[in-house]
Amino acid sequence: MESLQETAVVTLVLATCLASAAFAETKKEYRFTVGPNANISVDTQYGAISAKPGSGNQVVVTATLKSDDVEVDNQQNGNRIDIASHLLRGTDQQAGQVDYELLIPPDATLNLHSSTGPLSAERLQGDLTLEGTDAVVNVRNVENGHVHVRTMRGPITLTDVRNGHVEIASISGDVHLKSVTGPLVQASSGSGKIFYDGDFGSGGDYRFITHSGDIEALVPADVSAGFRAHSVLGRVQHDFPLQPRHSRFSEEVGRSFIGTTGQASSEVVLRSFSGKIRLKQR
Amino acid sequence: MTCSDVQRVLPELLDGAPDGAFQTDFDTHVKSCPACSELVSDLKLISSEARQLAATEEPAPRVWVRIAAELRAEGLIREPQSAPTRPILIPTSPRRRWSAWWLVPVAAALLAAGSYVVSHKPAPQVAKQQAPATSVTSAVPETPAVTSPSVPTSAPQQLAQKSAQPTDIVGPAVGPAVEPAPSAEDQQFLSVVSTRAPSMRATYENQLQAVNADIRETQAYVDRNPGDADARQHLMDAYQQKALLYQIALDRIQ
Repeated sequence: MESLQETAVVTLVLATCLASAAFAETKKEYRFTVGPNANISVDTQYGAISAKPGSGNQVVVTATLKSDDVEVDNQQNGNRIDIASHLLRGTDQQAGQVDYELLIPPDATLNLHSSTGPLSAERLQGDLTLEGTDAVVNVRNVENGHVHVRTMRGPITLTDVRNGHVEIASISGDVHLKSVTGPLVQASSGSGKIFYDGDFGSGGDYRFITHSGDIEALVPADVSAGFRAHSVLGRVQHDFPLQPRHSRFSEEVGRSFIGTTGQASSEVVLRSFSGKIRLKQR
Repeated sequence: MTCSDVQRVLPELLDGAPDGAFQTDFDTHVKSCPACSELVSDLKLISSEARQLAATEEPAPRVWVRIAAELRAEGLIREPQSAPTRPILIPTSPRRRWSAWWLVPVAAALLAAGSYVVSHKPAPQVAKQQAPATSVTSAVPETPAVTSPSVPTSAPQQLAQKSAQPTDIVGPAVGPAVEPAPSAEDQQFLSVVSTRAPSMRATYENQLQAVNADIRETQAYVDRNPGDADARQHLMDAYQQKALLYQIALDRIQ
């Protein structure tokens, strides 16, 4: 009897060890030396990717592999680095997950792709492209670089992004923009909401477009912009005493408004097919 | 050498891998065939322009989408027989293998069909409250650009005539009581997703239904209000959303 119990315990322990080994996390680190304006691309089917500025001309990639059923392909061609997760044997999402942490030169061009995400980038100055299906995207404190984000359902948040082109497109993800300014800031979502909290500064072009999602902009009383807002089927409201402006577009109370505040330094276009549009004063 | 032979060997010759036997026959045919001559000159232009692009300035995917759409419109590339295959004359991105490449021209065809539908709505009589320029092209700058300077442009009407009318658009009724059957392109799209990413099928199907519903809703409104330029622009935006969905799926299906 005791020997049977011992055998059962040993078997259980062995089975647990084998199972743990199959799903053991593995950390791998890759280092690359690059010149100015490097181009870095990371593509993973499942997993998070985060990027922060590193030191000097080094790119440091730390990959955490959730199992042995996935491997990391890495390649450097001059100033271009490509990192990709390679799923083996029809791996599922759990086993195929690889999380990446990147330390890169601040001026590098960065391309991040992940179906599940999340994707994040902060304190960078190069061009950023972030794309995911359901990935939550977070971009913070980016200056001078162009930012391109595409998701299917993943929500997108940009905070303190300045002086570059910003282009965001989502099928149904919500878009939150806080202190985002630049020569061009364009966001579109089909059914997701777009929320802007800023001052529409930098003399830029701001265009927010949805199909059924609501659009809300929260701006200071001294905002300087020309506004045009129209919802085909939804309601449109504003809290500002807009100065009239000559325009080929008509104004329909409750459905659209056109006018300027201050010096009309920036141009703001808010369009929705059936969503509500609200321009609120902070 | 026939026109189809020319199309088959053209990529090799453009890549600078001349074959003596082919070269002579090729040159003879091109000199005598205006269609093939024009094709060769167009592709040489594209090829030379592409070489001047720096590695970090790889053309956006929409460039290839437009190329594929125009070649498809001219009947120079074939529809895939069964499994999706790469069109003969289209270069692929070096970083991604698009085995479901046929979806790209479909996405472009959707955009072109939307452009054709929107731009061919009757312009309104001069009314004090309507913009003088009511065609879609005047409103294009408000949406993400879909043109590229390196691609020979073709009138949207030509592309739209070749591409099917949106088969998933119901008539000008306010809204169908029952979800209409997916179009052939959507069915093919979902079939490929089911094969290559079965866990994502439900997600893509739901998103596709939502996007198609947006298109139908907007189309119905435009049919009732043909003079509403903003509504026509929203219809274009809805088609672009569908193209975006196809592109996101293409990027993930391997």
